Amino acid sequence: MISRVAEHCFWMSRYLERAENTARILEVNQTHLLDFDVPLDQQWRPLLIISGVYDMPGPPEAEAVQQYMTWDPANRSSIAVSVGAARENARIIREVISAEMWERLNYYHLWMQEPAARALYDGSRSEFYNQIRRINQLIHGIADGTMAHGEAWEFFQMGKYLERASQTARILDVKYHILLPTPEQIGTPVDHAHWVAILTSCSGYEAFHKKMRSPLDTGGAVADFLILDWQFPRSVCYCLAQCWKAANAISRRPSGESGSVVESQLADLASWLNRMDIAEIIRRGLHETLTVVVNRIHEIGALIHTTYFDVSLQAAPAPTKRAAAMYQAQS
Amino acid sequence: MEKERTGLRSLFAGYCRHPTAWDELFDSSGGPHPAYRLLVDGLDQLGVGEFQKRRVSADLVFVNQGVTFSVYADRRGVEKIFPFDLIPRPVAAAEWGRLEVGLQQRIHALNLFLHDVYHDQRIIKEGIVPAELVLGSKGFRKEMAGFDPPGGQYIHVVGTDLVRDAAGKFLVLEDNARTPSGVSYVLENRVVMKKVFPQLFQHCRVRRVEDYPQRLRDALGSVAPAGAQDLPCVVLLSPGPYNSAYFEHSFLARHMGIELVLGPDLFVHDDRVYLKTTQGPQRVDVIYRRLDDDFLDPEAFRPDSLLGVPGLFRAYRAGNVTLANAVGTGVADDKAIYPFVEDMIRFYRSEEPILSKVPTYIGARPQDCAFVLDHLHELVVKAVNESGGYGMLMGHTATREQRAEFHEKVRDNPRNYIAQPVVTLSTCPTWTDEGTAPRHVDLRPYIVSGKSTWVLPGGLTRTALVKGSLVVNSSQGGGSKDTWVMENGK
Repeated sequence: MISRVAEHCFWMSRYLERAENTARILEVNQTHLLDFDVPLDQQWRPLLIISGVYDMPGPPEAEAVQQYMTWDPANRSSIAVSVGAARENARIIREVISAEMWERLNYYHLWMQEPAARALYDGSRSEFYNQIRRINQLIHGIADGTMAHGEAWEFFQMGKYLERASQTARILDVKYHILLPTPEQIGTPVDHAHWVAILTSCSGYEAFHKKMRSPLDTGGAVADFLILDWQFPRSVCYCLAQCWKAANAISRRPSGESGSVVESQLADLASWLNRMDIAEIIRRGLHETLTVVVNRIHEIGALIHTTYFDVSLQAAPAPTKRAAAMYQAQS
Repeated sequence: MEKERTGLRSLFAGYCRHPTAWDELFDSSGGPHPAYRLLVDGLDQLGVGEFQKRRVSADLVFVNQGVTFSVYADRRGVEKIFPFDLIPRPVAAAEWGRLEVGLQQRIHALNLFLHDVYHDQRIIKEGIVPAELVLGSKGFRKEMAGFDPPGGQYIHVVGTDLVRDAAGKFLVLEDNARTPSGVSYVLENRVVMKKVFPQLFQHCRVRRVEDYPQRLRDALGSVAPAGAQDLPCVVLLSPGPYNSAYFEHSFLARHMGIELVLGPDLFVHDDRVYLKTTQGPQRVDVIYRRLDDDFLDPEAFRPDSLLGVPGLFRAYRAGNVTLANAVGTGVADDKAIYPFVEDMIRFYRSEEPILSKVPTYIGARPQDCAFVLDHLHELVVKAVNESGGYGMLMGHTATREQRAEFHEKVRDNPRNYIAQPVVTLSTCPTWTDEGTAPRHVDLRPYIVSGKSTWVLPGGLTRTALVKGSLVVNSSQGGGSKDTWVMENGK
């Protein structure tokens, strides 16, 4: 498919995923803080850091941070900006996405600009964030059910899972910024509660407990689950694998064989993680490991750009058969 | 009770013909033209109430499909649903047959003309067409001199506008040989008509138009350059979603099964054109371009164009890509050249033209210019470089100030203007707030040429929606009707 169109598919998906994840961490941080005494200057600043936001004006107080991360047009990672960007990408590729996808996404984008959304935010913060999460879930549900699972759909998957892998790593890393557990604090109810909060923000509470059954070292177990689990759909490794699957489908290689540099980099990162167990990750440093993950995902994003989107003639032109394969009616 | 009676009223009850214009459905006796009796009776008996219902459902189809057109001058701005009237405009098959042959003759001559003016210029040397009208035409591209486009075809798609005078004779109003639009409305209108009048449609045995996309696709494939891929890669180059005709670009690309691309999706390397795809660069062989020459290539033409592809013209002249239509076809549909098309037919084909034009005065000719300046109140004056009904004076309805303005314009730049007597365009019954009433119409058939030429049966009947208005262009707020070439008409 045309690079430009693929790029819009990819980014539409990434922005939607970003909006959902931002809503998740804002919601959990808010409910979690209600229960515990965390030093004032540490309450909300970590969220800005993990979102890569360093230029928020004013002190990082609860309402200010939420306002900035939810509504502010000056914040490129705010929910409003993300939903708007997703909708703008969708508008350009209306012929590619189904009519229902466009209609719903457009509806929510417009909803966010209406007083009703603001009223929900003011009156029932939690419900507002739930609604934001549902937007992404709904759009992907519609996509799954109404779009042909061809290249366009694969780029949706690639965008979604790449973003999600990065977001899960960032959410986990919030622990590093909120409290660097002193040896005395590890295992205490406060520490435990924070890990539960992180799990909940990833909707992993039940799944975790089914699998792990009250481990002694909560922190280690949660990190293990959210990084290495191969079944939980928000774990870093799961997301990397799905991202690889999408890239593999696009390069049309037999399953298991890495075609593009994107696939090999994704496979590399996943196998690097899988070679370690959680004990080793913690020994190296959880924060250090997560930083590597976030950075390498960022590099993979750049590779995706040069491999699929920013195409120019590097090598010999493509052979004839590929041209024939292009002949699909736009739908 | 009153409403009921109105609803049961026959559709054409109380229909009043225009006092002088030819009516497409009704003859001078007030009854239907014999060839269209079936159609007229069928519609009449439907009744106003039923007709209204069908109008509502037709409108809904258009809204849902997003059949839109942007009207630049409209304050409300961006997109409007292209107004459509349900009453079709019929053409009997026999009459159509004559038009078809006439159009093919004309298009063939225009192609030969283009080849001539970009090569030996015989038609100029033999004094048939003045040199300055050709060389001075805004559409003439000296860069095309000596170049033979693949397949020898310059005009792959043309929309030739026809009008009927008060005697019922078809006349050519103008050719549109650069980027004619409107065929997507023809195709969408047909979809709606078949849904709304299935039985009538069948009884009238209307010729198909659905073949257009496939015919165009085949024609484009047939003029791929030498050295093209086995399955030539054809794309549609569009200026993008903000262009007024974007709906059509998108529609045609989808129905032809080809990619819709924007300028930045293409690049030129080694004088070959490539498309940026997720599988790497893909060679492109034929580009159906819906961009003016000016914007095609910042290297060759307007350097500020962001819509085109740098190096595209280079690739074109190297013979590595076909552009449809060819560069430089604007000289053939230049309004100043239009009066000479009949001479072209005689010159290149040694035949008498089958289709006549509207009588035309050429500003560049001093005698004609003098006549025009003296008779502005009786003439339609057109700037040769404009389209879409802009830059036009309707002398008989203009104000004194408007006429004075044009007097000055013509005097200062006579070469830029032609004038024609007001043709009272034929009318066709159209639904209005006061029931069915006559509205002026024209007809734009579309002709596709690849290795061979094919004429779309019918085409776009454009309708002036305002009572008495003779301006039918969509960009000026006109509407359309479906055109039915009827096998059952005699």
